[in-house]
Amino acid sequence: MGVPEKGCDAVKALVIGANSVRRLLRDRANIFFVFMLPMLLILVLGAAFGGGSDPRMGIVAEGSGRLGAELADSVRQTEGVDVRDYPDKDALVVAVERGQLEAGLIIPVGYDDTLRGGGSVALEFVARTDPTSQALRNTVDSAAVRQGTLLRAAAFAESQGVMEFSDALELAGRVAEASPEVLVTQEAVGEPFVFQRLGTFDMGAYSQLLLFIFLTSMTGSSALIQSRRLGVSRRMLATPTSVGTILAGESLGRLAVALVQGLFIIFGSAIVFGVDWGDPVAAAAIVIVFSMGAAATGMLMGAVFKNDQQAGGLGVVIGLGLAALGGCMLPLSIMKLFSPGLWRVAHVTPHAWGIEAFEEIIIRDGTVADIGLQLAILAGFAAVVFVLATWRLRVALTRS
Amino acid sequence: MGEGSPEAVLRCEGLRKSYGGLVAVDGVGFHIAPGETYGLLGPNGAGKTTSISMIAGLLERDAGEVMVAGKPLTTRSTDAKRVVGLVPQDIAIYPDLTARENLSFFGRLYGMPKVELKQRVAEVLEIVGLADRAGDRAEEYSGGMKRRLNIGIGLLHRPRLLILDEPTVGVDPQSRNAILESVERLSVEGMAVLYTTHYMEEAERLCDRVAIIDSGKIVAEGTRRELVELVGQHDRVRLTATGDLKAAVDAACAIDGVKGADVIDGGIDFLADRAGDRLIEILTKVGASGVIVSSVRVEEPNLEAVFLHLTGKALRD
Repeated sequence: MGVPEKGCDAVKALVIGANSVRRLLRDRANIFFVFMLPMLLILVLGAAFGGGSDPRMGIVAEGSGRLGAELADSVRQTEGVDVRDYPDKDALVVAVERGQLEAGLIIPVGYDDTLRGGGSVALEFVARTDPTSQALRNTVDSAAVRQGTLLRAAAFAESQGVMEFSDALELAGRVAEASPEVLVTQEAVGEPFVFQRLGTFDMGAYSQLLLFIFLTSMTGSSALIQSRRLGVSRRMLATPTSVGTILAGESLGRLAVALVQGLFIIFGSAIVFGVDWGDPVAAAAIVIVFSMGAAATGMLMGAVFKNDQQAGGLGVVIGLGLAALGGCMLPLSIMKLFSPGLWRVAHVTPHAWGIEAFEEIIIRDGTVADIGLQLAILAGFAAVVFVLATWRLRVALTRS
Repeated sequence: MGEGSPEAVLRCEGLRKSYGGLVAVDGVGFHIAPGETYGLLGPNGAGKTTSISMIAGLLERDAGEVMVAGKPLTTRSTDAKRVVGLVPQDIAIYPDLTARENLSFFGRLYGMPKVELKQRVAEVLEIVGLADRAGDRAEEYSGGMKRRLNIGIGLLHRPRLLILDEPTVGVDPQSRNAILESVERLSVEGMAVLYTTHYMEEAERLCDRVAIIDSGKIVAEGTRRELVELVGQHDRVRLTATGDLKAAVDAACAIDGVKGADVIDGGIDFLADRAGDRLIEILTKVGASGVIVSSVRVEEPNLEAVFLHLTGKALRD
């Protein structure tokens, strides 16, 4: 009788992991969970956070003449503003009300004629009540002031009999373009207060992603429980395969699914909706180490609980509880501001470290090097939980 | 071959396991040689599965030692487990995988190279009679087919020691017979087999030696003949006869090895050691007494009787 050659533990773990994925995908109900749910999340994240961080402003300039068009162009050329044209005021107001625009500018019909005739014109600005809208108002004010300056210069030239108003206005424009500018630079100091960031990417996508990855990885517990109940895990232990290898294999299967889902969401929402996830390498690194911890937690639950009902019910509670405590629902910056103690407690969860890492790469344009501490702690969390899960599975398999 | 013989494929001694105050296995020990089929015979709850779980390295033991092919086997061992095949009592397969996928999966865990594994999977599918259903999911199989797949997984890597824990429970007679024939073949091929059952007839058919286990202890061990002799059980010779039966009884009782005889309705019952060896002598004496014998039946005592004698209860209690 031949004794088979010694198999490598890593290969066995891969075999177990591949088997886990194969069985997962063989169940049609899981197809929705693995592929459709991330697609939905991409749509949700894209709709909520897509289009980058540029605020959107609509402009109605129909019948406003050349000066109206120039004012609209001046606004359009402002960096960091996504300007869209609307045919009339009603459509513009509806778009602002529905959140499709942060603000809107209506340049009245006859704007050009009135100004050239020496009259005054009122521009109508429609906005939501948030800080971004206020910034857009400043953009419109600046454009109006710039145009007003040229108009006053042209009016002065005409009043002095130097040239016609139209010629003077054109000349003033060329002179203004060639004139040196006075620029104001801005430097951010201190930690930003969270509400100043509302409406941008910062508040949502990555916390939702971490919450999703953790919850889906926890479903791995039911696969392990099923293997235990079928007696297959125990039978694996009868082969020359250690408990650690069995658990690593089961974890690998779930980790692979979580990674595919997480990276799919990141790249999908970035490519389709332009969601900004910061440095892609750093984002991928966060997803990988966070998923490892989540998969290990799922395995720990699978080793502790005896049936799917226990794991499913408590899994959701634990998943949501850790997410809430870790800052996925209440931003860490608020927590730190109002309850430093709670903020410290939050850091027992991997979510808090994941969120901090994402904030570093998204808000402060950090790279992998800047999130080394967070990655190390997330990796450590994964290792500790994996060891606990291995110990618990060994107890479950070999002591009863 | 002695218990400590280096040729023993399995040697275990002093196995003990308790759950709280309940002692499930208490000092179980035995050895199995290559090509030998060893039976653990006992009723449900006697400690058979617990003993096997400790032997296969699935269950932490409180005390005792297990050596397989000269290597110690514990729950953490991997080397010793390489030569052990386990067929658990409860069917342990993935129902959503096919027979071929189940076999391939476990073959990889035994470290079998891919090419060899593919060939061996085909062989095992033939052995267990599932070749024509190899691509069907196990959940579509009958109970007997699942059980045969369960056995196939244990055979896959050509183990030196095959442990079968009540492999025929809940199996139809046809599958049961196929399973028993497979075990007989494996033994002939040189595989050591540890077979637990509470079916006396299976133990008698398959096992070279049998240990009778009850309440976690081995109460007797040996070949069937040794066990029968151990408890003083005798063969029974039943004659259907006419004539002076009393005289025939008196004459035959004088034969060495005949332990007793009774006249029964239409015949005589003799109790004797190794009745087959003494049958001609008995018939000669009976015939000499003028009795006409119309039929003869020799009944050897079975393990059921041995078990009853040793434990005071029936196997299926």
